[in-house]
Amino acid sequence: MSDRTESLLLTLPGLLLLGLAFLVPIAQMLVLSIEGENGPTLAHFARFLGDPFYLGVLWRTVRLSLIITVICAAIGFPLAYIMARVGPRLRLWLIVLVILPLMTSVVVRTFGWMVLLGRSGLIPDILRDLGLAGRSFAIMHTEPAIVIGMVQVLLPFMTLSILGVMTRIDQRLEEAARTMGCSFVQTLRSVVLPLSVPGIVAGSLLVFTLSASSFITPNLLGGPRIQVLAASIYRSVTQTLDWPFAAAQAVILFAGVLVVMIPYVALTGRGNG
Amino acid sequence: MVRAVPNGIRIAAYAFVALTMLLLLAPLVVVIGVSVSESQFIAFPPNGLSLAWYRSVLSSDAYLRAAALSLQIALMVTASATVIGGAAAIALHRRNLPGSAVMATFFLSPLVLPTIIYAIGMLMLWSTLFGGVSMMTLWLGHTVICLPYVVRTTLAVLSESDPFLEEAARTMGANRIQRLVHVVVPQCLPGLAAGAFFAFNISFDEAVLSLFLRRADMTTLPVQIYGQLEFSPDPSVAAVSTIMIGITILLIVVIDRVLGIKRFAST
Repeated sequence: MSDRTESLLLTLPGLLLLGLAFLVPIAQMLVLSIEGENGPTLAHFARFLGDPFYLGVLWRTVRLSLIITVICAAIGFPLAYIMARVGPRLRLWLIVLVILPLMTSVVVRTFGWMVLLGRSGLIPDILRDLGLAGRSFAIMHTEPAIVIGMVQVLLPFMTLSILGVMTRIDQRLEEAARTMGCSFVQTLRSVVLPLSVPGIVAGSLLVFTLSASSFITPNLLGGPRIQVLAASIYRSVTQTLDWPFAAAQAVILFAGVLVVMIPYVALTGRGNG
Repeated sequence: MVRAVPNGIRIAAYAFVALTMLLLLAPLVVVIGVSVSESQFIAFPPNGLSLAWYRSVLSSDAYLRAAALSLQIALMVTASATVIGGAAAIALHRRNLPGSAVMATFFLSPLVLPTIIYAIGMLMLWSTLFGGVSMMTLWLGHTVICLPYVVRTTLAVLSESDPFLEEAARTMGANRIQRLVHVVVPQCLPGLAAGAFFAFNISFDEAVLSLFLRRADMTTLPVQIYGQLEFSPDPSVAAVSTIMIGITILLIVVIDRVLGIKRFAST
């Protein structure tokens, strides 16, 4: 047996598993999306793209995902910078605190937000007490509720993505900029920010895709009336039982994800090599 | 030497970190708070202190059955993902197969494909082929999404290991199996262990795949919680959720002890 045969044998179970239980299901979904009573059809796509309701769902998905991504980047960049520059003990603690919510089930975290944002929840109460909101003010089942919940869910991905790039930035570059007369803020803007762009871009692409494809948090915090694409897919599968239509919507999501993910893989792949 | 950071900015930075941590941890703290409340209704800050909701969870058939199923699947997935992913990582690390780089990307690809797309494909394939989903579907599905984590942690450990150890064993006459069992596997053990814990955590917490591949008699814990949240949550949901948070904390501590969480922090 050659070394090559041994390597092949070692990868074989994985290749079989991914081939049969990963690629084939995706292919099945693609096939089902064009399935009609009289052979292949694009009717399911036409139905989605021709209906103002579904176009509204699509637009809301893209809009919310963009807002969520921008907020995550705006919080994630300074957070990652601070994490990269504090002492090792504090950094370890911060990393653990960022990872803890990341590793907690999404249903559990969303439940926490339901309590906080609910009708008599802490956050509407505080806003009312401060006089910032009227008596009938509600945040649950609105788009801002989805944004708040999703930012919390996805911020760890953004932060860790930027942190990975930032820890590799040579700190002497910053010192050089400072000795040559840059202020702290100028250094941040002209040295740190440009050098962490790969991390910010990779994190943003990841957050955008995850945000566009999630339905548990949007469903529970946005309620049944504010639908996003993934929630609409879930409804087509479980409630209206229109599977070809669900598959077509999934293909639309898949196409969007591919457009975003190809630069992501290229970016992160280069970073590892 | 210039002053590193102006004082004002330093204070602002601490405040910013504190606020961000508050944002990240608030939902977890709230869930834990609700779980120890005496009140019949979900309330935060909690009224009174009681463990009654934990008692009600531990005597609820639905929760116990869901927990048993989740645990069973998570253990099965941990075993399959660790063996399959570990073996693949060992081979990928050697880079002696054609298209090794492409193959590595392929093994990590379930990580970047949104789970909902995969879940739909699994549901449709199984319904077409076998007329419905089964434990097998859940097991395979969870294994696929956990596989990349094991591959990644094992590759990370192997990339820092001594490549000449296996050569040394070879010159001293160890055969293939002996080298694999006595040299290579012990070398990747920390990676395999960390990957196994990640796999357990992801499978145990996974909700999307389990919601799509649901059957009346196949409800995992996250699916059970989701159902309660959609329908009528009471503080018992908070008690279950707190137990799940506890398991996550335990796993993080274990991963950190085994390997140092920092090494797998950057995704």
